[in-house]
Amino acid sequence: MGAIPASAAGREGAMQAAGERVNCWQCNADHSADFFCPQCGAIQPLPDRTDYFQVLGVPRRLLVDADVLQRRYYELNRQLHPDLYQTGPEMAREASLRNTAAVNRAYRTLRDPTDRALYWLSLHGEKLGSNNNRVPPELATLVFEVQEKLEELRAARGTDGQGAIEEEMAAARTELRQRQATLAAALQENFRRWDAAGADALTLTQELKSILSSLAYLGTLARDVEKELDK
Amino acid sequence: MERIFGIDLGTTNSLIAYSDNGVPRLIPDRQTKSPLLPSVVSFPVPGEIVVGARAKDLAAHHPLATIASVKRFMGLGMEHVTTEDRARYAFSTGTADGGKDIVRFRVCDREYTPPEISALILKELKRRAETALGEEVRKVVITVPAYFNDSQRQATRDAGRLAGLEVLRLVNEPTAASLAYGLDKRNQGFIAVYDLGGGTFDISILKLHEGIFEVLATNGDTRLGGDDMDHRLAHLLLERVPSNVRGDPELVVQALAAAERAKIRLTDSESAPLELHRGSVQVSVTITRAEFEVLVADIVERTVAPCRQAMKDAGLGPGDLDEVVLVGGSTRVPLVRRRVQELFGRQPHTELNPEEVVALGAAVQAGVLSGGHRDMLLLDVVPLSLGIETVGGVTERLIERNTTIPTTVKQMFTTFVDNQTAVDFHVVQGERELVKDNRSLARFKLRGIEPLPAGMPRIEVTFMIDANGILNVTARDERTGREQSIDVKPSYGLTDEQIEGMLEESIDFAEEDVHARLLIEARNDADGLLRGARKALADARLDESERAAIAAAMARLAAAVAGTDYNQIRDLNDELNRATTPLAQRIMDASIKAALERRHVEEVL
Repeated sequence: MGAIPASAAGREGAMQAAGERVNCWQCNADHSADFFCPQCGAIQPLPDRTDYFQVLGVPRRLLVDADVLQRRYYELNRQLHPDLYQTGPEMAREASLRNTAAVNRAYRTLRDPTDRALYWLSLHGEKLGSNNNRVPPELATLVFEVQEKLEELRAARGTDGQGAIEEEMAAARTELRQRQATLAAALQENFRRWDAAGADALTLTQELKSILSSLAYLGTLARDVEKELDK
Repeated sequence: MERIFGIDLGTTNSLIAYSDNGVPRLIPDRQTKSPLLPSVVSFPVPGEIVVGARAKDLAAHHPLATIASVKRFMGLGMEHVTTEDRARYAFSTGTADGGKDIVRFRVCDREYTPPEISALILKELKRRAETALGEEVRKVVITVPAYFNDSQRQATRDAGRLAGLEVLRLVNEPTAASLAYGLDKRNQGFIAVYDLGGGTFDISILKLHEGIFEVLATNGDTRLGGDDMDHRLAHLLLERVPSNVRGDPELVVQALAAAERAKIRLTDSESAPLELHRGSVQVSVTITRAEFEVLVADIVERTVAPCRQAMKDAGLGPGDLDEVVLVGGSTRVPLVRRRVQELFGRQPHTELNPEEVVALGAAVQAGVLSGGHRDMLLLDVVPLSLGIETVGGVTERLIERNTTIPTTVKQMFTTFVDNQTAVDFHVVQGERELVKDNRSLARFKLRGIEPLPAGMPRIEVTFMIDANGILNVTARDERTGREQSIDVKPSYGLTDEQIEGMLEESIDFAEEDVHARLLIEARNDADGLLRGARKALADARLDESERAAIAAAMARLAAAVAGTDYNQIRDLNDELNRATTPLAQRIMDASIKAALERRHVEEVL
């Protein structure tokens, strides 16, 4: 299993990478990898391996409050953005650039449930397997139907039959959207169970991977349908 | 604290502004009183450089030696030059190695790259600000179209460097405009900035939140603008001209100037004259606004798809927008205003002059950077996805478009054969699957890799897009932790060495320029003196020896004027001046005497 035990979830907004100590580039004071030196106040470059939850200073949980996340994002930008260090020393400018980039990437990843879940897997040393392009069995029928209709629509372009097939496609699109919504709900439920005490990481990881594969598959299919209907 | 200036380096006009205790102010030209400097550079004679309104006038008679709309060529390769471009300018015929090359204009036996031409415009703005404020201008913020790619941004930064400026930040034009509008006064909301300039189109969707200007999505077209409308109108004139003279660059330039005038007239008038008079060519037509709108409808329509895409990327529908802001001179066109209103379903803001608002915003951002306005913060995005070439010419995306900058992404590289010591990779920008459909930015070579079995070396490459939207690449050997050296070959840009070379050359040329100017001045003086002396020779008050001395001095000066030794011309100017002095003295004496006598008479009366 991955480097971070599930019990670590819920630790409030710890800024530092676990146990890491660094020295301030300006006054050499020893500190626990904070954004700012506790002694002289100079901006500090964040250690490379600080995880996204730590970067944003939010609990390491899968269920996140979007408003809290955004507020933290704005707060950190108001403290760290390169615009604020333009006239400062080069080390401060470098640290600001690096930290802001880390904050931006962390926010972009954590605000999206799918990206957040994929990142969670990577924190646990897991990733979606290479057999990801295989059709998840429970979606096989739907996928087969939709792809057949896509073919029919391409063939019927410019003929009298086009309108009727387009209507069928629109119906298929609605079904795709419903499936996506169901999976999104399943994802939230999976998140909730991860965050609960005594989570069974092994089972939850398998389930999470399965949901993510299905979502990825439906996403690609939905894009193909949109593209064809937009023509 | 050293002041930071804001510059709008536009396709048609450029402006410079500064923040005066938090209030952005434009610096007008001393003579024209206008803050707009036409972005035109002319080389009427070798060595003479004219920038601005006078250069625009010179275009009619020196079309090939006058470069306008240079912004359209920034960061582009010769392969992107169109037939229309070739009708207007002379270009260099390309490089010896036949590889990709950036655009090079051919003017008076010299080649100029777009950054060099832009640098001349920047220098003129610098001079203007220095004269007006009596302080040196060194640090600047320059605005760029939001949809500018990496090469176009680099080219703009290079132009600043060539002008002797330190470019602290490139700011996206629509974002700058939103700062100038002071829209932060409304606490939050969504705004769309529609920016149609002389040569570029941008659409940016922003979210405002307590002084934070967060760009959600941006889109556009860096070769779409008012220039295209001018070309349509000019075509109306040129198609009425005999085909044997239609390609004459002077005629093309005059037709474009007439087209621009007519277009501007049509903003307030229902019709405008469109005329071309040159030698035997006499064309005169009247165009109505309705006809004009039909003529340019597809140009305006080309802005619609980017707007829809930006709204979609921002996850918004038209009903979600709180404000729409118009920027750029081309948004004065009534059809553009109507179309924008239709598209977004609301009346757009037009309170600020659309040609000045970007420069004002640049000054506001300059104020932020120099430590004022700490309550305002811009969070901008990268307009195009960034990727690397993988097997089969497929693009692997590393950074998605509309990602907030600065941003970084790391990628691991390794070797494919044993003892390989270098690895190449190719960085592209764009939304397409295949590398050939995207814009090539640069080729990188990781050098000095330790010779190891294939796949063993692990080089971690960091791609960082900084707050200017410009890519910086660094690499580290993961095993040793050592910085890995990289060679960069920009696809459509200047290397550091080339810029250094140009800077040195410009110092050489500055000297040469001075010589050329001194020669011109000496010749002008000689012309005046010779004209005066010719008249003097006929004067009865001269004796024979004086007349002979003047004639000899005239002959020597006339011979010198044919050469290029300005020192000799200046000496002979003095000699002729001395030869005519006795006569001038006599004439002066006579007139003084006459004046005194007159006064005497007046006094007596």
